[in-house]
Amino acid sequence: MKTFLLIGSVVLGGLVGLLALALGLTLLAGLIAFVVMGVRSPSKLTMLLRMAWANLLASRINLVIGGLIAGGTVVFVVLGSLVSSLNDSMARSVVGSVAGNIQIYSAKSKDDVALYGNMGGEPDLTAMTTFPAIKEALEKHPNVKTVVPMGVSGAVITPGNVVDRALERLRALYRAKQGDVVPALKDVPADELAQRIDAQKSHVRQIIKVLNADAQKAAAILADKALEPEVAQALARVSSDEFWTGFDADPFDALEFLENNIAPQVTDAQMLFLRYLGTDLDRFQDSFDRMEIIDGARVPNGQRGFLIAKFLYEEQMKLKNARRLDKINTARTLNERKIATDEELQRFVKENRSQTRDIVLQLDAIKTKTAVELLQAELGVAETDLSALLTRFFDMTDETFDRRYAFFYEKLAPLVELYRVRVGDTLTIKAFSRGGAIQSVNVKVYGTFAFKGLEKSPLAGATSLMDLMSFRDLYGYLTADKLEELKEIKQATGAKEISRDNAEAELFGGDSQATIVAEATPGIIDADKELTGAARKLRNEDLIRRVYTSEEINSGVVLNAAVVLKDPSKTARTLEELRELSDREGLGLKAVSWQQAAGLLGQIITGFSIILLLSVLVIFFVAGIVINNAMMMATMQRTAMIGTLRAIGAQRALVLGMVLLEAVTLGFVFGLGGIALGALVVQLFHAIGIPAWNDYAYFFFSGPKLRPDLSPTNLGVAIGIIFGVTYVATLVPAFIATRVSPLRAMQADT
Amino acid sequence: MANSIVSIREVVKEYHLGQTVVPALRGVNLEVERGEFLSIAGPSGSGKTTLLNLIGCVDTATRGIVEVAGKDTAKLSERALTSLRLDTIGFIFQSFNLVSVLTVFQNVEFPLLLQNRLGANERKARVMQLLEQVGLATHAKHRPNELSGGQRQRVAVARALVTEPLIVLADEPTANLDSKTGQAIIDLMRSLNQQKGTTFIFSTHDFKVMEHANAVVRLADGKVLARETPQEAVQHVLGRREAAAEASVGAP
Ligand SMILES: Nc1ncnc2c1ncn2[C@@H]1O[C@H](COP(=O)(O)OP(=O)(O)O)[C@@H](O)[C@H]1O
Ligand SMILES: [Mg+2]
Repeated sequence: MKTFLLIGSVVLGGLVGLLALALGLTLLAGLIAFVVMGVRSPSKLTMLLRMAWANLLASRINLVIGGLIAGGTVVFVVLGSLVSSLNDSMARSVVGSVAGNIQIYSAKSKDDVALYGNMGGEPDLTAMTTFPAIKEALEKHPNVKTVVPMGVSGAVITPGNVVDRALERLRALYRAKQGDVVPALKDVPADELAQRIDAQKSHVRQIIKVLNADAQKAAAILADKALEPEVAQALARVSSDEFWTGFDADPFDALEFLENNIAPQVTDAQMLFLRYLGTDLDRFQDSFDRMEIIDGARVPNGQRGFLIAKFLYEEQMKLKNARRLDKINTARTLNERKIATDEELQRFVKENRSQTRDIVLQLDAIKTKTAVELLQAELGVAETDLSALLTRFFDMTDETFDRRYAFFYEKLAPLVELYRVRVGDTLTIKAFSRGGAIQSVNVKVYGTFAFKGLEKSPLAGATSLMDLMSFRDLYGYLTADKLEELKEIKQATGAKEISRDNAEAELFGGDSQATIVAEATPGIIDADKELTGAARKLRNEDLIRRVYTSEEINSGVVLNAAVVLKDPSKTARTLEELRELSDREGLGLKAVSWQQAAGLLGQIITGFSIILLLSVLVIFFVAGIVINNAMMMATMQRTAMIGTLRAIGAQRALVLGMVLLEAVTLGFVFGLGGIALGALVVQLFHAIGIPAWNDYAYFFFSGPKLRPDLSPTNLGVAIGIIFGVTYVATLVPAFIATRVSPLRAMQADT
Repeated sequence: MANSIVSIREVVKEYHLGQTVVPALRGVNLEVERGEFLSIAGPSGSGKTTLLNLIGCVDTATRGIVEVAGKDTAKLSERALTSLRLDTIGFIFQSFNLVSVLTVFQNVEFPLLLQNRLGANERKARVMQLLEQVGLATHAKHRPNELSGGQRQRVAVARALVTEPLIVLADEPTANLDSKTGQAIIDLMRSLNQQKGTTFIFSTHDFKVMEHANAVVRLADGKVLARETPQEAVQHVLGRREAAAEASVGAP
């Protein structure tokens, strides 16, 4: 992809260059022939101009050609300004979100940095081990504002399914009842605990009921879809009243049975890929003005924490029914689409009607009752089955949508969990090193964020933010905490001096390149679950609350870093200077512009520009051919006149000059007209703004509206191309005009 | 001979239409003296236009010698022929051939601009003087399509004479005009011929026009039948017509 684009742009650049050269040469040759041979005096030139000017409006063909030139110019100016505005706004978004103006990474890296990922996954970057020194060296450059350390990695998370969560809560409640310390339930009195246990139990029974119904339905439709005997047995057992009356006798045993036999039957636990950027969050949040906290709050200074990308949060973590309602709502209000006529919206409605289980499973007995009552009142029916009620409720039309949409968020949403991960939850992210050791980090989700202008970008919106400490832990590098841990290991084992490399090997079981798996445990942190041996002392809660100093954050490895400049207009020069600086001081860095660093996103921008450039070339190519034809016709129509001029003593060169001058005048007048009109259109677009009609447009526009700006270079290029195209298109007709015989004058009939 | 401004000797002109050869002139000899007001007469297809084209250096002979203003046209390049046309020959066309997008003044000025010898003021004076002589000074700023046929041909006369050429060629200059206007154009040409001594060679098949010439060259089938006085020529044409009339009466 990258090489293809590179070759493409080189070839294109070469072609354009050749074309420009050919153009320049013919222009020069034409001018010489024109001035030296044909037109040797200013008065002759004036006369020819007069003829050209008079011809301009006299001939209908000229008006057609002029119209074409003007039209082509308008298209060129408008498209050109659109492309450059798109580029500019994308640049602003990319630079202001993650990339900074320049990205640096280790020169030893196998791949190039790709901030938004690459086709083949994450690039393989070699870590920079002396970041504080690098940062210090770079920040001495007068144009460098700050250097923000980074690293990108990813994990697959499987947020526990409804059963898992319900069982986990139940387990926590029983443990609290039994006297264990459960932080989330610390201040809950005993009688309330008992109540909650009952409610939670009835929720689990509710879930089992739904599962039973599902199983019967499946069996009724397809014989071979019937449950395996063991599962059927297990289901029968947990559906029985005996199981529940005997529950409290050994709650943990019962829970384990449910966990092992029932939870796997609920398949809503979708695997979710979580890509995150580990960074110095303080500096990041201060340096990138495009970043906006949407839900929750920013991570407190110096602390560990996680911010989920809002796009991902909405697209992947939100309750599907709610997500679909949002989509319908946006389509209706922003894009004026109608359920009645829009197939996609009809599909959403259909899916919402059939997929009510996600909601039903979430509700315990009390909430189910509330929901049934609410829906009965809203729909004015006596139906008592929640699933049936929801199906009816989600059967929305253009007439009922707005009311039900409001109802959903006001009344139903408070009863369910809208997101699989909530702000305030703690994500447990586990890393399995190649050696098999598990590395696990707990990070608190402080909120969600988006980058202004990239809100709808699936690429930019796929990357969440994580503090650098947790990132290093997971990636498999030494951090301050790990050093402490190492000391303990040493004391405990009385081991020899552990070198840094060995330490890593001990910690991660060898190769530090880690495959990472994460799991979310909403709300409740089981402090003892993952920690073993010498690490036990370092409780996750401690880590979560610990405040790190700037030195601690910086000292340690980073994969790449964004260099934010004071004056972005000098990016190219600063880039050169930073490269020199790295060579001089032996920093071993590679420095690339944000475009390059943006990887896939950068390629999309370039690809988009190339497509537009190509279409402009095609437009002018076609226009050139049409102009050529029209000029040919115009010449044929005027052979009598040309013959007359030749008879009374005009040389061939003068005829050549006359036709070319006429074309150039045509190009000038209508080209300028087109430029004026194009500029007007662009200004108009700027004033009203072009609304993004869908998510792709939003992405390319870097926001809800695109306000294109006129650029002088654009206008200059437009003028140049118009002259060139008109001129080249006229060369052949002009040559043919010089071949008209003076005898044609004698045959004239006008 | 030495005084001849146009000298045509044993000229043959053949047109090639695919395989067939159309002989338009078949061994023509003609000498034209300075200051003559010469008419070339003959029925349609007799070769009048062809002969004028050769004299006007817009075409070249198949065989024989065409000398214009002492120059053998066969030996001149395309560029040199064009220069010769510009400097020594003025053209008046049957269809006037004015440049429609230019004004009367600009049309007349055009050859002067091509010559590029006079300054703007002299040019203007010359153009206005000629427009005066053809009686169109008041129409200088008009466009050709605002003028009558006679007026247009007078503009063409002014254009042909503005460079003070040695020879003015006119191929059937009155053919597109009514007879009264045609007479007026011939009168104008004649008076300019007498004033300036410019040689005029014009073709016509109208004997009323022929009458104004000081000599008539009668062509038929690409050959010169005679060089005679207008009276003789008219007589001849009329005589032939009478003979034709008698023949038709005598027929049953
Ligand atoms: N371009 C040409 N191609 C072929 N034949 C031509 C051409 N011009 C003239 N002729 C022929 O040459 C002969 C003389 O024509 P022309 O000089 O036009 O006669 P006139 O002007 O007396 O009518 C005619 O037979 C005519 O058909
Ligand atoms: Mg003729």
